Amino acid sequence: MNLAEKEPVEAAFEPLLQFEMEMGAFLSDWQHCDQVSSFMARMISHNRTDPVRHSNFFSSALNELLEVSFRGGSPDGQIGCAVYRQGAKERVKLTFPCPPGQRQFYREAVSKTRRGNAYARYLDAISTDLAPSRDVVLLELAINFDADIRLEESDPPSITLVVDLPLEGIVS
Amino acid sequence: MSTSNLAAQFQADFDPNSQEFSLAGVIRPHSADEIATSLSMLREAIDNVRGVLYINVKRLVQMNNTAFHAFARVLLDACRVRSDLRFVVVTSSVVGWTERMFGHLNRIEPQVTVEVYDSKFYPGQSFVENTSFIPILRTQTKMTWRHERTILPRHGMRPGMAMADICCGIGDFALLVRKEFQPGRIVALDHSRASLAYARDVAAGFGIADIEYTYGDASEMLLEDNQFDFVTCRHSLQIFNQPDVLLKELYRICKPGGRVYITNEKNSHCLGEPRSKSIQWTYNEVAKLFSHFEMDVELGPKSRRYLADAGFDDILVESFMVTNLDGDPQDFADVITAWENVYAGEMAVKRGDPPEFIERFRQGFRDHIFAALHPKGYAGWPIWAASGRKPL
Repeated sequence: MNLAEKEPVEAAFEPLLQFEMEMGAFLSDWQHCDQVSSFMARMISHNRTDPVRHSNFFSSALNELLEVSFRGGSPDGQIGCAVYRQGAKERVKLTFPCPPGQRQFYREAVSKTRRGNAYARYLDAISTDLAPSRDVVLLELAINFDADIRLEESDPPSITLVVDLPLEGIVS
Repeated sequence: MSTSNLAAQFQADFDPNSQEFSLAGVIRPHSADEIATSLSMLREAIDNVRGVLYINVKRLVQMNNTAFHAFARVLLDACRVRSDLRFVVVTSSVVGWTERMFGHLNRIEPQVTVEVYDSKFYPGQSFVENTSFIPILRTQTKMTWRHERTILPRHGMRPGMAMADICCGIGDFALLVRKEFQPGRIVALDHSRASLAYARDVAAGFGIADIEYTYGDASEMLLEDNQFDFVTCRHSLQIFNQPDVLLKELYRICKPGGRVYITNEKNSHCLGEPRSKSIQWTYNEVAKLFSHFEMDVELGPKSRRYLADAGFDDILVESFMVTNLDGDPQDFADVITAWENVYAGEMAVKRGDPPEFIERFRQGFRDHIFAALHPKGYAGWPIWAASGRKPL
């Protein structure tokens, strides 16, 4: 997709909240995933139809994304997380520094969320994997949260996961 | 990573008597090793049960994929070696993602099924969540508000407070409190989607967007600990089969130093003149009828004991009488008509009462209406308002 095609869609999303942190500091404590996701969820959900339940859902999804960046990110650079809204949908843009060798992994992981066998792959992972890999976590977001996931690679060495979450419709 | 923080956030328990393994709180470990003790507990539970093991995740607020895969692994492995065993995962309709997440296990192993815990689990909820009751609930609140607007400040209600109205019903009390006391925040929770839809509609009609209406189970709320200065729960402990459980939740979400305010009735004390005997007989029967459905509409004067047993101090109790002389007597009569329709027309029928009993039962309500509308009559509905402070 080129920039000219993308911009009109981007313009329709209203920015809600953004946080940035040194990646090294973020990686110093696993609890940051829980703390950041809980705080951001509470803040952006206050004017949803059911703020408490929207916050619970959103925190669940955002925490998984932050855990993906925690497990796959490199300590140099910054992690940034911005949340936007368009109608019943929130968009999360999670940017984090990623080792060059990992970029192809994320391309494929995101691509798998759009394939026809996504649900079968997810069930297979629950059934056989000892622990969820990062690509299964993205699959889970697509399946349990109806997330639409894509990847932006505009500013190496960072990558940006762009995740649209239509949670208002699920919650209410 | 601090595993002690993680341990403080969640609880795992196994009750061998009910063959129930339960998970509650927030479970977001970095690796499965951090929840090894809980996983071992589940494995032991599986080894020690016969027939069916219940996996209770009603109070599971958050669970990451790492934890889900680890617990799912134990269940799916057990399915492969214990074909004699069924696993029933009990989720809450409030936490929607748990139903989705655990529902996948059934696609892998049919021995694992998911049941959604909902209002049907409460004995009398279908009566009180009946949408035909909505107009009369508005009238009831209008009548009690005349008293409560002066009572609430005595129990600690102040402008700017963070307030939660639990079992908010159609949300009219929250609207009135907002207008009168201007709390800094209001969360209003109820388990009836129809009532909440009505509440949101009314609020939107008035251009009010700052009341956070939320669907929830009052006995197992998603709300965090120690959040609110003032927690109200009106006319609800009395229609809940485990009022102590509900009160424990109200205590949990209240800030230390904050107060929980409850109102309840003693239905057998409803009164009227003339025709007092018929009225008294009927309301004695109302108390018995509710008791049949595991609800205690005599709870009002027991409020002090319930609050003390739940750990509150500085307990205040007072009572007030809503009467036909408060405003329009027809409002009082309309409320009694609604009671007659639900109590005699639905609940007594459901209990299997004979027609002659139901007719006498109805007569008491009609006599109460007669007293309310009589030019020299007096009709009353007593209510107990009580509050306690959560110790600092």
